[in-house]
Amino acid sequence: MKKDFWSKSTVAVIGGGSWGTVLTKIVAENAADVRLWVRDEEQARAMNSTRSNPAYVKEMVLPSNVRTFTDIERVFEGGVQAVIWALPSKACREQAKRFAPLFRGDEIVIHATKGIEDGTMKRVSTMLAEELPVSRIGVISGPNLAGEIARDEPAATVIASEFREVVEAGVTLLSTPRFRAYAADDVIGIEWAGTLKNIYAIAAGALDALEFGWNTRSLLITRGLAEMVRFGMAMGAKEATFLGLAGVGDLFATCSSPMSRNYRVGRKLALGEPLEVILRELGAVAEGVRTTQIISAFANERKIPMPITQGVSELIRGDRPARDVLRALMQRPPAADISAEMGEFDFGR
Amino acid sequence: MDSESSLTLPITSPLTEFSQIRPRVLDAVVNRTIDEVPKIKIESELTAALYLEKQRLHRERGNLFTKKRLKKDRALWNGIQKELLQSAVITDRGNLLHDVAARYAEEIGGRFDPKVYKLATGLLPYGFNWLLNAASVKSILPWGMTEDVRSRLRIEGELQHLKKLAAKGTILLVPTHQSNIDSILIGYVIYLMGLPPFAYGAGLNLFSNPVLSFFMSNLGAYTVDRQKSNRIYKAILKNYSTRILREGIHSIFFPAGGRVRSGAIESKLKLGLLGTALEAQIENLQEGNPNPKIFIVPMTTSYHFVLEASTLIDDHLSEAGKHRFIITDDESSQFSKVLNFFWQLFKAQSGMTVRVGRPLDVFGNFVDEEGNSIGPNGTTIDSTRWLSSYGKLGIEPDRDREYTRVLGNKIVERYHAENTILTSHLAAFTFFEGLRERYPEYDLYRFLRMSLSQRTVPWEEFLAEAEISHKKILAASDRGMFHVTPELRTSDTKAWLKDGILNLGLFHGNAVLKRGDGVLYSEDMNLLYYYRNRLAGYGLSLRADPRRRVPGAYDEKGFLV
Repeated sequence: MKKDFWSKSTVAVIGGGSWGTVLTKIVAENAADVRLWVRDEEQARAMNSTRSNPAYVKEMVLPSNVRTFTDIERVFEGGVQAVIWALPSKACREQAKRFAPLFRGDEIVIHATKGIEDGTMKRVSTMLAEELPVSRIGVISGPNLAGEIARDEPAATVIASEFREVVEAGVTLLSTPRFRAYAADDVIGIEWAGTLKNIYAIAAGALDALEFGWNTRSLLITRGLAEMVRFGMAMGAKEATFLGLAGVGDLFATCSSPMSRNYRVGRKLALGEPLEVILRELGAVAEGVRTTQIISAFANERKIPMPITQGVSELIRGDRPARDVLRALMQRPPAADISAEMGEFDFGR
Repeated sequence: MDSESSLTLPITSPLTEFSQIRPRVLDAVVNRTIDEVPKIKIESELTAALYLEKQRLHRERGNLFTKKRLKKDRALWNGIQKELLQSAVITDRGNLLHDVAARYAEEIGGRFDPKVYKLATGLLPYGFNWLLNAASVKSILPWGMTEDVRSRLRIEGELQHLKKLAAKGTILLVPTHQSNIDSILIGYVIYLMGLPPFAYGAGLNLFSNPVLSFFMSNLGAYTVDRQKSNRIYKAILKNYSTRILREGIHSIFFPAGGRVRSGAIESKLKLGLLGTALEAQIENLQEGNPNPKIFIVPMTTSYHFVLEASTLIDDHLSEAGKHRFIITDDESSQFSKVLNFFWQLFKAQSGMTVRVGRPLDVFGNFVDEEGNSIGPNGTTIDSTRWLSSYGKLGIEPDRDREYTRVLGNKIVERYHAENTILTSHLAAFTFFEGLRERYPEYDLYRFLRMSLSQRTVPWEEFLAEAEISHKKILAASDRGMFHVTPELRTSDTKAWLKDGILNLGLFHGNAVLKRGDGVLYSEDMNLLYYYRNRLAGYGLSLRADPRRRVPGAYDEKGFLV
């Protein structure tokens, strides 16, 4: 019955970046009518006529039950049952304010945004709850490099919400035979994991530039995970969440793929290019740069040990070259391997 | 508040006509409860209830007032036991369940008699005024001058808003709960506001106090017996409170389930009871009730002294407290102590503050004066949509549990924001925190047992500390963290301190704070902790992380932060 409900449903996807477009295609396999909202008139016209999104994922063809709009009223005309929110974190609050009057209240909202709000450090689901007149909000997150999923390579993700209904909707709408969705309820953990991993993606790019091998990368990922757990738990997340797809899974993919924007930023920083130049060349958002600065300041203040994050922050600020940062990290006092709380290890000094 | 005119308003509501709807309500509750028990489960539910009831009846010792009831209970359960031993062919289990359910429903619901209500509400202010004047004459007021009880009782907050909403839907008042006096006081406040009586559940044990019993049953109380732990009773109770909400009878729940032991604002609520509000809301909408909305109105009470503080804080501090959830024998069951409490209350310089909080809907959204739920960005929230899943309005247990959890958190948040800090609370807080600064290495239990010389502080030192904490509290109040009493809105530290120290726990045998020769000391550290805790949960403690507000959390030394 529930599957029936969703197969007859109308779903709006907000944001036509690469991930938003890929999610649109997945939803279109499971819902009756899919409406994609993009900001740019020209992009909408191109997508409606070519059934693809040449700017982001050109090889993927969108099914015929997808229509692209720039007019927000058209997207919500006659009501939609679910909304997939795929805007960059920076645009979330402002756009949510615009969209708010169009919601009726029973829509299920699942956001696919990794990142937090500047200044307030609020998670995306919190921002949406503060701006949209709906109660049922969830998040999708996992090791999901859009390009690979566009090519229909097997992959999996996690849908989390405090409302089981939202998770059910997400799993139903966002699964295909090649894309598997797992359920979770730790929204805090899932969102923080998706945000924090970008910091380590920058570090991974830097290691690549320094031409180190797999041991070093493994060291980064494992110790990075320890930092993520420490921070996440301070924010009220569950430790186990970080062992899942949206935790270590996403961290592993992000730190391994040279495709990720944050990785490319880290690589160029380690090669000595100034940040402004890198960001200009990139042309797209690298969430990790902002995230690193916000998190390192916060962790400092709260005394949450996050040495790698502090190191990446120094690298971004241009305080020290990558080699020096790494040297300092390697020469920290001895510490215990497994334990989020133990911090520095006392050798009977 | 224009209380004169409100006193003359004709008071009618579903509750004042309760005697007419009573049979229908009780029938509906019984039938619903029976429907909720699957046929094949009836026998096992009855057996489980029989076991627990036998234990209770063995445990309970009747007194003059409860003897008759216990005897009737014994007869019922002995009968049930006999019948259960018979084959199901001979005695129908469904009938047995009906007997039990009907008895419980009868016990819980409806002693309300509108004629007696008028008498009780008429007597209450007379009694209050008599006490007040008798007490005043004895203290400072010149002859011939009379004072009204209402001048000792400060009622603040969203009174008009509440009154408006009472005409547009059903109010569920959710007050903080410190004392058994709360229900009488709140019943009286409701009367002063010119609102019809509200129904509320009160512990059966309280009905054994003739004074409390008289006022309670006639201010709209129905009985809750927390000694009865079987599921049939709990289902009846839940269905009863849902049903009366659905009848449009304004109700009061104490969502913490009992009086708060620590003296702090409640941080944990009983969600099961709160969930009935959501259930009633859904059913009202499903039935197309013309005034379907249920409004949740938080309310806080602030006292300079709490009658049962000693028992409560001892219970909080003792490990046993966790098991002994129901205190049946404390100060409020002793007639003379209740009388003495009121006497002291009216003798005091300033009395109690009751604050009506901003009304919420069943999801925890604020509600405007028209009864609309206000969403973000000026949107209006459509309750029906929020309660529809898969396109259909109805009960959805998983979803509703989450809604109730969110509502519970919101109420806790509002309690803290709607709390009124009195001079006595700040005096206790300042003194307590000052001692903590002096003995930072002590844990709670060591701290509370310090010697008299240790808990004596030079007056001048205390004065300096009070000035600092006063500034801190005013700044926090300006940020909307809580409200402060007008007596604290002064730059004269000595003035508010005098008021605070004089009033702090006036009733208790030992002085919570006492001035000596150039010093200030505490005769009772447990009580000091109790009154200090009214400022816990805000992260204001000198040793708490100021960026984190964690209601109900303890620091590493065992103190409420």
